[in-house]
Amino acid sequence: MKVKTYLKRIIWIVFIALIWEIIAKSAYFSPLIFPGLETIFKALYTELFSGELLKQIIFSLSLIIQGLIISLIIALLFSLLSLISKNFNSLLDTLIALAHPLPGIALMPLVLIWFGVGTASILFIIVHSVLWPLVLNLRTGFKAIPEIYKLVGKNYGLNSFEIMWYIMTPAAFPYFLAGLKIGWARAWRALISAEMLFGAAGSMGGLGWFIFKKRVFFDLPGVFAGIIVIVIIGILVEDLIFNKLEDMTVKKWGMQI
Amino acid sequence: MSSFLEINNISKAYSGSENDRFLVLKNLSFDVKQNEFLTIVGPSGCGKTTLLKLIAGFIKTDSGQILKKNKILNGSAPDRIMLFQDFEQLFPWKTVLENVLFPLRAKNILATKNERVTLAKKYLKDVYLENYLDFYPHQLSGGMKQRVALARALVIEPAILLMDEPFGSLDGQSRNYLQDMLLEIWKNYNRTIIFVTHDIREAIKLGDRIIVMENEPGRLKKIIVNKIKRPRQQVDQEFIELYNQIYALLK
Repeated sequence: MKVKTYLKRIIWIVFIALIWEIIAKSAYFSPLIFPGLETIFKALYTELFSGELLKQIIFSLSLIIQGLIISLIIALLFSLLSLISKNFNSLLDTLIALAHPLPGIALMPLVLIWFGVGTASILFIIVHSVLWPLVLNLRTGFKAIPEIYKLVGKNYGLNSFEIMWYIMTPAAFPYFLAGLKIGWARAWRALISAEMLFGAAGSMGGLGWFIFKKRVFFDLPGVFAGIIVIVIIGILVEDLIFNKLEDMTVKKWGMQI
Repeated sequence: MSSFLEINNISKAYSGSENDRFLVLKNLSFDVKQNEFLTIVGPSGCGKTTLLKLIAGFIKTDSGQILKKNKILNGSAPDRIMLFQDFEQLFPWKTVLENVLFPLRAKNILATKNERVTLAKKYLKDVYLENYLDFYPHQLSGGMKQRVALARALVIEPAILLMDEPFGSLDGQSRNYLQDMLLEIWKNYNRTIIFVTHDIREAIKLGDRIIVMENEPGRLKKIIVNKIKRPRQQVDQEFIELYNQIYALLK
Protein backbone atom coordinates (compact mmCIF):
# COMPACT_ATOMS: atom_id res chain seq x y z
CA MET A 1 0.00 0.00 0.00
CA LYS A 2 2.68 2.44 1.05
CA VAL A 3 5.00 1.47 -1.81
CA LYS A 4 2.13 1.99 -4.21
CA THR A 5 1.53 5.50 -2.87
CA TYR A 6 5.19 6.36 -3.35
CA LEU A 7 5.19 4.88 -6.82
CA LYS A 8 2.16 6.94 -7.81
CA ARG A 9 3.76 10.04 -6.44
CA ILE A 10 6.93 9.45 -8.42
CA ILE A 11 4.95 8.87 -11.59
CA TRP A 12 3.16 12.18 -11.11
CA ILE A 13 6.41 14.03 -10.45
CA VAL A 14 7.92 12.59 -13.63
CA PHE A 15 4.79 13.65 -15.49
CA ILE A 16 5.00 17.23 -14.19
CA ALA A 17 8.73 17.37 -14.97
CA LEU A 18 7.98 16.19 -18.48
CA ILE A 19 5.44 18.94 -19.07
CA TRP A 20 7.85 21.45 -17.60
CA GLU A 21 10.56 20.30 -19.96
CA ILE A 22 8.25 20.42 -22.98
CA ILE A 23 7.30 24.02 -22.20
CA ALA A 24 10.94 24.97 -21.64
CA LYS A 25 12.07 23.25 -24.82
CA SER A 26 9.30 24.87 -26.87
CA ALA A 27 11.15 28.15 -26.20
CA TYR A 28 7.84 29.96 -25.96
CA PHE A 29 9.27 31.76 -22.91
CA SER A 30 12.78 33.06 -22.68
CA PRO A 31 15.06 30.48 -20.98
CA LEU A 32 16.01 33.29 -18.58
CA ILE A 33 12.46 33.27 -17.21
CA PHE A 34 11.61 29.62 -17.72
CA PRO A 35 14.80 27.59 -17.46
CA GLY A 36 14.91 23.94 -18.47
CA LEU A 37 15.40 21.16 -15.98
CA GLU A 38 18.96 20.61 -17.05
CA THR A 39 20.04 24.15 -16.14
CA ILE A 40 18.08 24.03 -12.90
CA PHE A 41 19.73 20.81 -11.74
CA LYS A 42 23.12 22.04 -12.89
CA ALA A 43 22.61 25.12 -10.71
CA LEU A 44 21.49 22.94 -7.82
CA TYR A 45 24.56 20.76 -8.24
CA THR A 46 27.07 23.60 -8.36
CA GLU A 47 25.45 25.49 -5.49
CA LEU A 48 25.38 22.38 -3.33
CA PHE A 49 28.97 21.45 -4.05
CA SER A 50 30.36 24.94 -3.74
CA GLY A 51 29.13 24.67 -0.17
CA GLU A 52 27.14 27.89 -0.39
CA LEU A 53 23.70 26.28 -0.47
CA LEU A 54 24.63 23.70 2.14
CA LYS A 55 25.75 26.44 4.56
CA GLN A 56 22.44 28.23 4.11
CA ILE A 57 20.49 25.01 4.67
CA ILE A 58 22.32 24.38 7.92
CA PHE A 59 21.77 28.00 8.97
CA SER A 60 18.02 27.78 8.30
CA LEU A 61 17.60 24.41 9.97
CA SER A 62 19.49 25.47 13.09
CA LEU A 63 17.29 28.55 13.35
CA ILE A 64 14.12 26.51 13.03
CA ILE A 65 15.27 23.97 15.62
CA GLN A 66 16.11 26.77 18.06
CA GLY A 67 12.71 28.33 17.41
CA LEU A 68 10.92 25.02 17.93
CA ILE A 69 12.73 24.31 21.19
CA ILE A 70 11.97 27.77 22.59
CA SER A 71 8.32 27.43 21.56
CA LEU A 72 8.07 23.97 23.09
CA ILE A 73 9.32 25.10 26.45
CA ILE A 74 7.03 28.12 26.55
CA ALA A 75 4.03 26.13 25.29
CA LEU A 76 4.53 23.42 27.90
CA LEU A 77 4.84 26.02 30.66
CA PHE A 78 1.80 27.95 29.47
CA SER A 79 -0.45 24.94 29.13
CA LEU A 80 0.58 23.48 32.49
CA LEU A 81 0.09 26.84 34.19
CA SER A 82 -3.33 27.17 32.61
CA LEU A 83 -4.27 23.84 34.20
CA ILE A 84 -3.25 25.07 37.62
CA SER A 85 -4.58 28.63 37.56
CA LYS A 86 -7.99 29.67 36.30
CA ASN A 87 -6.84 33.27 35.98
CA PHE A 88 -3.87 32.32 33.87
CA ASN A 89 -6.13 30.14 31.77
CA SER A 90 -8.38 33.07 30.92
CA LEU A 91 -5.35 35.26 30.20
CA LEU A 92 -4.03 32.56 27.89
CA ASP A 93 -7.41 32.35 26.17
CA THR A 94 -7.23 36.07 25.48
CA LEU A 95 -3.63 35.91 24.28
CA ILE A 96 -4.45 33.07 21.90
CA ALA A 97 -7.53 34.87 20.59
CA LEU A 98 -5.41 37.96 19.87
CA ALA A 99 -2.21 36.40 18.61
CA HIS A 100 -3.23 33.20 16.89
CA PRO A 101 -4.95 34.79 13.87
CA LEU A 102 -2.09 37.24 13.39
CA PRO A 103 0.26 36.14 10.57
CA GLY A 104 3.93 36.38 11.47
CA ILE A 105 4.58 38.49 8.36
CA ALA A 106 2.32 41.24 9.73
CA LEU A 107 4.63 41.62 12.71
CA MET A 108 7.78 41.97 10.64
CA PRO A 109 7.98 45.78 10.37
CA LEU A 110 7.54 46.02 14.12
CA VAL A 111 10.06 43.28 14.82
CA LEU A 112 12.56 45.00 12.55
CA ILE A 113 12.36 48.14 14.66
CA TRP A 114 12.41 46.29 17.96
CA PHE A 115 15.03 43.65 17.34
CA GLY A 116 16.74 44.90 14.19
CA VAL A 117 17.92 42.72 11.33
CA GLY A 118 19.27 39.40 12.47
CA THR A 119 18.58 36.03 13.93
CA ALA A 120 16.71 37.39 16.96
CA SER A 121 14.01 38.80 14.70
CA ILE A 122 13.68 35.58 12.73
CA LEU A 123 13.47 33.57 15.93
CA PHE A 124 10.76 35.87 17.21
CA ILE A 125 8.69 35.30 14.08
CA ILE A 126 9.18 31.53 14.27
CA VAL A 127 8.20 31.37 17.93
CA HIS A 128 5.13 33.47 17.24
CA SER A 129 4.08 31.15 14.42
CA VAL A 130 4.62 27.94 16.37
CA LEU A 131 3.71 28.83 19.92
CA TRP A 132 -0.04 29.40 19.61
CA PRO A 133 -1.05 26.28 17.69
CA LEU A 134 1.21 24.29 19.98
CA VAL A 135 -0.35 25.73 23.13
CA LEU A 136 -3.83 25.09 21.74
CA ASN A 137 -3.01 21.46 21.05
CA LEU A 138 -1.27 20.86 24.33
CA ARG A 139 -4.12 22.33 26.30
CA THR A 140 -6.65 20.22 24.43
CA GLY A 141 -4.40 17.23 25.06
CA PHE A 142 -4.24 17.85 28.78
CA LYS A 143 -7.98 18.32 28.98
CA ALA A 144 -8.66 15.14 27.03
CA ILE A 145 -6.80 12.94 29.50
CA PRO A 146 -9.22 10.39 30.97
CA GLU A 147 -10.01 11.14 34.61
CA ILE A 148 -9.23 7.54 35.45
CA TYR A 149 -5.49 7.99 34.75
CA LYS A 150 -5.29 10.74 37.34
CA LEU A 151 -7.28 8.67 39.84
CA VAL A 152 -4.89 5.77 39.34
CA GLY A 153 -1.93 8.11 39.94
CA LYS A 154 -3.54 9.53 43.04
CA ASN A 155 -4.35 6.04 44.30
CA TYR A 156 -0.71 4.98 44.05
CA GLY A 157 0.28 7.95 46.16
CA LEU A 158 1.69 10.26 43.51
CA ASN A 159 1.70 13.99 44.26
CA SER A 160 0.43 16.59 41.79
CA PHE A 161 3.83 17.14 40.26
CA GLU A 162 4.41 13.42 39.79
CA ILE A 163 0.96 13.01 38.23
CA MET A 164 1.79 15.82 35.83
CA TRP A 165 5.16 14.39 34.90
CA TYR A 166 4.55 10.65 34.89
CA ILE A 167 0.94 10.58 33.70
CA MET A 168 -0.35 13.75 32.11
CA THR A 169 2.68 14.51 29.96
CA PRO A 170 2.82 11.10 28.23
CA ALA A 171 -0.98 10.92 28.08
CA ALA A 172 -1.04 14.23 26.18
CA PHE A 173 1.79 13.19 23.86
CA PRO A 174 -0.42 12.45 20.81
CA TYR A 175 -1.74 16.01 20.94
CA PHE A 176 1.74 17.31 21.51
CA LEU A 177 2.98 15.52 18.40
CA ALA A 178 0.06 16.81 16.33
CA GLY A 179 0.82 20.33 17.56
CA LEU A 180 4.48 19.90 16.71
CA LYS A 181 3.56 18.87 13.17
CA ILE A 182 1.44 21.96 12.65
CA GLY A 183 4.12 24.01 14.40
CA TRP A 184 6.84 22.72 12.12
CA ALA A 185 4.84 23.50 8.97
CA ARG A 186 4.12 27.01 10.16
CA ALA A 187 7.66 27.61 11.37
CA TRP A 188 9.09 26.50 8.03
CA ARG A 189 6.91 28.96 6.11
CA ALA A 190 7.59 31.77 8.57
CA LEU A 191 11.30 31.14 8.45
CA ILE A 192 11.60 31.39 4.68
CA SER A 193 9.57 34.60 4.49
CA ALA A 194 11.42 36.17 7.41
CA GLU A 195 14.77 35.33 5.89
CA MET A 196 13.75 36.97 2.62
CA LEU A 197 12.77 40.19 4.35
CA PHE A 198 15.50 40.39 6.94
CA GLY A 199 18.32 39.36 4.69
CA ALA A 200 21.75 38.39 5.75
CA ALA A 201 23.45 38.83 9.06
CA GLY A 202 27.00 38.75 7.80
CA SER A 203 27.22 36.25 4.96
CA MET A 204 24.49 34.03 6.40
CA GLY A 205 20.88 34.61 5.53
CA GLY A 206 19.43 31.14 5.20
CA LEU A 207 17.51 29.57 2.36
CA GLY A 208 15.04 32.41 2.02
CA TRP A 209 17.85 34.88 1.64
CA PHE A 210 19.59 32.56 -0.82
CA ILE A 211 16.54 32.57 -3.10
CA PHE A 212 16.08 36.30 -2.71
CA LYS A 213 19.69 36.97 -3.61
CA LYS A 214 19.43 34.78 -6.69
CA ARG A 215 16.43 36.75 -7.85
CA VAL A 216 18.32 40.00 -7.48
CA PHE A 217 20.97 38.67 -9.84
CA PHE A 218 18.26 37.29 -12.11
CA ASP A 219 19.62 33.80 -11.64
CA LEU A 220 16.39 31.83 -12.09
CA PRO A 221 17.99 28.38 -12.14
CA GLY A 222 19.45 29.36 -8.75
CA VAL A 223 15.99 30.43 -7.53
CA PHE A 224 14.55 27.09 -8.59
CA ALA A 225 17.44 25.24 -6.98
CA GLY A 226 16.53 26.93 -3.69
CA ILE A 227 12.85 26.09 -4.13
CA ILE A 228 13.63 22.45 -4.84
CA VAL A 229 15.72 22.26 -1.66
CA ILE A 230 12.85 23.74 0.35
CA VAL A 231 10.41 21.20 -1.08
CA ILE A 232 12.77 18.29 -0.45
CA ILE A 233 13.43 19.29 3.15
CA GLY A 234 9.71 19.65 3.72
CA ILE A 235 9.02 16.18 2.37
CA LEU A 236 11.89 14.63 4.29
CA VAL A 237 10.79 16.08 7.61
CA GLU A 238 7.15 15.09 7.08
CA ASP A 239 7.74 11.62 5.72
CA LEU A 240 10.85 10.58 7.54
CA ILE A 241 10.98 12.36 10.87
CA PHE A 242 7.33 12.79 11.77
CA ASN A 243 6.07 9.53 10.30
CA LYS A 244 8.90 7.67 11.99
CA LEU A 245 8.15 9.41 15.27
CA GLU A 246 4.49 8.43 14.96
CA ASP A 247 5.38 4.83 14.24
CA MET A 248 7.60 4.75 17.30
CA THR A 249 5.07 6.32 19.63
CA VAL A 250 1.35 6.94 19.08
CA LYS A 251 0.94 4.16 16.49
CA LYS A 252 2.77 1.67 18.68
CA TRP A 253 0.67 2.69 21.67
CA GLY A 254 -2.62 2.68 19.75
CA MET A 255 -3.13 6.32 20.72
CA GLN A 256 -3.70 8.00 17.36
CA ILE A 257 -6.02 10.98 17.51
CA MET B 1 -11.63 -11.28 64.50
CA SER B 2 -11.86 -7.65 65.36
CA SER B 3 -12.97 -5.12 62.81
CA PHE B 4 -10.26 -4.12 60.40
CA LEU B 5 -12.11 -1.54 58.42
CA GLU B 6 -15.04 0.24 59.97
CA ILE B 7 -17.60 2.17 58.00
CA ASN B 8 -19.24 4.35 60.59
CA ASN B 9 -22.57 5.96 59.78
CA ILE B 10 -21.49 7.65 56.56
CA SER B 11 -23.63 9.81 54.32
CA LYS B 12 -22.82 11.40 51.02
CA ALA B 13 -24.80 13.73 48.76
CA TYR B 14 -23.94 15.14 45.39
CA SER B 15 -25.11 18.64 44.66
CA GLY B 16 -27.37 18.67 41.68
CA SER B 17 -29.04 21.76 40.29
CA GLU B 18 -29.70 24.64 42.70
CA ASN B 19 -31.03 23.43 46.05
CA ASP B 20 -31.51 19.95 44.81
CA ARG B 21 -28.99 17.85 46.70
CA PHE B 22 -29.06 14.25 45.69
CA LEU B 23 -28.48 11.91 48.60
CA VAL B 24 -26.42 8.95 47.42
CA LEU B 25 -25.61 7.20 50.67
CA LYS B 26 -27.53 7.48 53.90
CA ASN B 27 -26.29 6.43 57.32
CA LEU B 28 -24.32 3.47 56.12
CA SER B 29 -22.46 1.38 58.70
CA PHE B 30 -20.69 -1.95 58.47
CA ASP B 31 -17.43 -3.65 59.40
CA VAL B 32 -14.92 -5.44 57.27
CA LYS B 33 -12.70 -8.11 58.77
CA GLN B 34 -9.08 -8.52 57.91
CA ASN B 35 -8.52 -10.83 54.92
CA GLU B 36 -12.24 -10.98 54.33
CA PHE B 37 -13.76 -11.19 50.88
CA LEU B 38 -16.75 -8.90 51.10
CA THR B 39 -19.11 -8.49 48.19
CA ILE B 40 -21.60 -5.68 47.86
CA VAL B 41 -24.61 -6.17 45.64
CA GLY B 42 -27.34 -3.71 44.84
CA PRO B 43 -29.33 -2.10 42.07
CA SER B 44 -27.72 0.62 39.98
CA GLY B 45 -27.83 3.98 41.69
CA CYS B 46 -27.51 2.55 45.19
CA GLY B 47 -24.15 4.29 45.65
CA LYS B 48 -21.88 1.24 45.40
CA THR B 49 -19.25 3.07 43.37
CA THR B 50 -19.52 6.12 45.59
CA LEU B 51 -18.93 3.91 48.61
CA LEU B 52 -15.73 2.53 47.10
CA LYS B 53 -14.54 6.00 46.13
CA LEU B 54 -15.11 7.13 49.70
CA ILE B 55 -13.10 4.22 51.08
CA ALA B 56 -10.37 4.85 48.47
CA GLY B 57 -10.30 8.46 49.63
CA PHE B 58 -11.00 9.98 46.21
CA ILE B 59 -13.94 11.88 47.72
CA LYS B 60 -14.89 12.91 51.23
CA THR B 61 -17.86 11.85 53.31
CA ASP B 62 -20.43 14.48 54.30
CA SER B 63 -20.81 12.88 57.69
CA GLY B 64 -19.53 9.79 59.44
CA GLN B 65 -16.07 8.26 59.30
CA ILE B 66 -14.17 5.44 57.75
CA LEU B 67 -11.65 3.85 60.10
CA LYS B 68 -8.87 1.41 59.46
CA LYS B 69 -7.55 -0.27 62.60
CA ASN B 70 -9.34 2.42 64.61
CA LYS B 71 -7.65 5.25 62.73
CA ILE B 72 -9.73 7.66 60.69
CA LEU B 73 -8.80 7.49 57.02
CA ASN B 74 -8.09 10.73 55.26
CA GLY B 75 -7.39 10.95 51.53
CA SER B 76 -6.17 8.23 49.22
CA ALA B 77 -3.17 6.02 49.86
CA PRO B 78 -1.63 2.93 48.28
CA ASP B 79 -2.87 0.71 51.14
CA ARG B 80 -6.27 0.81 49.43
CA ILE B 81 -6.05 0.26 45.69
CA MET B 82 -9.12 0.59 43.54
CA LEU B 83 -9.78 -1.40 40.40
CA PHE B 84 -12.22 0.09 37.98
CA GLN B 85 -14.74 -1.41 35.61
CA ASP B 86 -13.27 0.68 32.79
CA PHE B 87 -10.81 -1.32 30.69
CA GLU B 88 -8.87 1.85 29.99
CA GLN B 89 -7.29 2.11 33.43
CA LEU B 90 -3.91 1.00 32.08
CA PHE B 91 -1.47 3.51 30.64
CA PRO B 92 -1.49 2.92 26.87
CA TRP B 93 2.07 4.22 26.40
CA LYS B 94 3.49 1.54 28.66
CA THR B 95 3.85 -2.17 28.01
CA VAL B 96 2.21 -4.73 30.28
CA LEU B 97 5.40 -5.08 32.32
CA GLU B 98 5.98 -1.32 32.49
CA ASN B 99 2.42 -0.78 33.68
CA VAL B 100 2.97 -3.17 36.56
CA LEU B 101 6.37 -1.62 37.31
CA PHE B 102 4.85 1.85 37.37
CA PRO B 103 3.74 2.00 41.03
CA LEU B 104 7.03 0.49 42.17
CA ARG B 105 9.12 2.93 40.22
CA ALA B 106 6.99 5.94 41.03
CA LYS B 107 7.14 5.28 44.75
CA ASN B 108 10.72 4.00 44.74
CA ILE B 109 9.81 0.65 46.20
CA LEU B 110 12.75 -1.81 46.05
CA ALA B 111 16.23 -0.61 45.31
CA THR B 112 17.19 -2.09 41.99
CA LYS B 113 15.42 -2.46 38.71
CA ASN B 114 16.07 -6.19 38.73
CA GLU B 115 14.25 -6.66 42.00
CA ARG B 116 11.31 -4.64 40.74
CA VAL B 117 11.12 -6.60 37.49
CA THR B 118 11.25 -9.89 39.38
CA LEU B 119 8.38 -8.83 41.62
CA ALA B 120 6.30 -7.51 38.73
CA LYS B 121 6.83 -10.73 36.79
CA LYS B 122 5.76 -12.79 39.78
CA TYR B 123 2.40 -11.04 39.93
CA LEU B 124 1.99 -11.12 36.17
CA LYS B 125 2.47 -14.87 36.40
CA ASP B 126 -0.32 -15.02 38.99
CA VAL B 127 -2.67 -13.47 36.47
CA TYR B 128 -1.32 -15.78 33.72
CA LEU B 129 0.18 -13.01 31.64
CA GLU B 130 3.86 -13.90 31.87
CA ASN B 131 3.95 -14.32 28.09
CA TYR B 132 2.59 -10.86 27.37
CA LEU B 133 5.19 -8.70 29.11
CA ASP B 134 6.03 -6.59 26.07
CA PHE B 135 2.52 -6.17 24.73
CA TYR B 136 0.85 -2.78 24.76
CA PRO B 137 -2.63 -2.48 26.31
CA HIS B 138 -4.32 -1.84 22.97
CA GLN B 139 -3.16 -5.27 21.83
CA LEU B 140 -4.94 -7.01 24.73
CA SER B 141 -8.52 -8.15 25.23
CA GLY B 142 -10.68 -6.59 27.93
CA GLY B 143 -10.17 -9.49 30.30
CA MET B 144 -6.41 -9.36 29.86
CA LYS B 145 -6.40 -5.63 30.56
CA GLN B 146 -8.25 -6.22 33.82
CA ARG B 147 -5.72 -8.88 34.74
CA VAL B 148 -2.85 -6.45 34.15
CA ALA B 149 -4.66 -3.89 36.30
CA LEU B 150 -5.01 -6.51 39.03
CA ALA B 151 -1.30 -7.33 38.86
CA ARG B 152 -0.48 -3.63 39.01
CA ALA B 153 -2.61 -3.31 42.14
CA LEU B 154 -1.14 -6.41 43.79
CA VAL B 155 2.46 -5.47 43.15
CA ILE B 156 2.54 -2.82 45.85
CA GLU B 157 0.85 -5.22 48.25
CA PRO B 158 -2.11 -3.14 49.38
CA ALA B 159 -3.96 -4.26 52.48
CA ILE B 160 -7.29 -3.63 50.81
CA LEU B 161 -8.41 -4.13 47.23
CA LEU B 162 -11.44 -2.13 46.18
CA MET B 163 -13.01 -3.66 43.11
CA ASP B 164 -15.70 -1.74 41.29
CA GLU B 165 -17.37 -4.30 39.03
CA PRO B 166 -14.03 -5.06 37.39
CA PHE B 167 -15.50 -7.98 35.45
CA GLY B 168 -18.79 -6.25 34.66
CA SER B 169 -18.00 -5.63 30.99
CA LEU B 170 -16.67 -9.10 30.25
CA ASP B 171 -18.34 -12.03 28.54
CA GLY B 172 -19.50 -14.87 30.79
CA GLN B 173 -16.62 -17.19 30.09
CA SER B 174 -13.89 -14.62 30.79
CA ARG B 175 -15.75 -13.51 33.86
CA ASN B 176 -15.79 -17.03 35.31
CA TYR B 177 -12.14 -17.41 34.54
CA LEU B 178 -11.24 -14.15 36.26
CA GLN B 179 -13.41 -14.91 39.28
CA ASP B 180 -11.58 -18.20 39.84
CA MET B 181 -8.25 -16.48 39.35
CA LEU B 182 -9.15 -13.76 41.84
CA LEU B 183 -10.19 -16.31 44.46
CA GLU B 184 -6.90 -18.12 43.98
CA ILE B 185 -4.95 -14.89 44.45
CA TRP B 186 -7.03 -13.92 47.46
CA LYS B 187 -6.29 -17.28 49.08
CA ASN B 188 -2.57 -17.02 48.38
CA TYR B 189 -1.93 -13.46 49.46
CA ASN B 190 -4.32 -12.77 52.34
CA ARG B 191 -5.81 -9.55 51.06
CA THR B 192 -8.96 -7.85 52.19
CA ILE B 193 -11.22 -7.43 49.20
CA ILE B 194 -14.32 -5.29 48.87
CA PHE B 195 -15.96 -6.26 45.63
CA VAL B 196 -18.90 -4.37 44.22
CA THR B 197 -21.19 -5.98 41.67
CA HIS B 198 -24.75 -5.94 40.45
CA ASP B 199 -24.56 -9.61 39.58
CA ILE B 200 -26.04 -11.71 42.41
CA ARG B 201 -24.30 -14.89 41.25
CA GLU B 202 -20.94 -13.14 41.28
CA ALA B 203 -21.59 -11.84 44.79
CA ILE B 204 -22.46 -15.34 46.02
CA LYS B 205 -19.59 -17.05 44.27
CA LEU B 206 -16.95 -14.69 45.68
CA GLY B 207 -18.03 -13.29 49.02
CA ASP B 208 -17.55 -14.48 52.59
CA ARG B 209 -20.26 -12.03 53.40
CA ILE B 210 -22.63 -10.27 51.07
CA ILE B 211 -23.94 -6.79 51.72
CA VAL B 212 -27.24 -6.17 50.02
CA MET B 213 -28.01 -2.52 49.39
CA GLU B 214 -31.10 -0.69 48.22
CA ASN B 215 -31.31 2.60 46.42
CA GLU B 216 -32.66 6.14 46.64
CA PRO B 217 -31.00 6.89 48.93
CA GLY B 218 -28.39 4.15 48.99
CA ARG B 219 -28.52 2.28 52.27
CA LEU B 220 -27.86 -1.07 53.78
CA LYS B 221 -30.60 -3.64 53.50
CA LYS B 222 -29.03 -6.77 54.84
CA ILE B 223 -25.71 -8.40 55.55
CA ILE B 224 -25.66 -12.08 54.68
CA VAL B 225 -23.00 -14.47 55.88
CA ASN B 226 -22.24 -16.80 53.01
CA LYS B 227 -21.57 -20.26 54.46
CA ILE B 228 -21.50 -22.18 51.20
CA LYS B 229 -18.27 -24.12 50.85
CA ARG B 230 -15.87 -23.18 48.09
CA PRO B 231 -15.68 -23.89 45.21
CA ARG B 232 -19.25 -22.78 44.84
CA GLN B 233 -21.32 -24.16 42.01
CA GLN B 234 -24.28 -22.28 40.63
CA VAL B 235 -26.29 -25.50 40.36
CA ASP B 236 -25.95 -26.37 44.07
CA GLN B 237 -29.15 -26.25 46.07
CA GLU B 238 -27.67 -23.86 48.68
CA PHE B 239 -26.48 -21.53 45.93
CA ILE B 240 -29.92 -21.38 44.37
CA GLU B 241 -31.58 -20.78 47.72
CA LEU B 242 -29.23 -17.93 48.55
CA TYR B 243 -29.76 -16.53 45.08
CA ASN B 244 -33.51 -16.52 45.58
CA GLN B 245 -33.15 -14.90 48.99
CA ILE B 246 -31.04 -12.04 47.64
CA TYR B 247 -33.18 -11.73 44.55
CA ALA B 248 -36.24 -11.27 46.77
CA LEU B 249 -34.41 -8.66 48.84
CA LEU B 250 -33.53 -6.66 45.74
CA LYS B 251 -37.01 -6.70 44.27
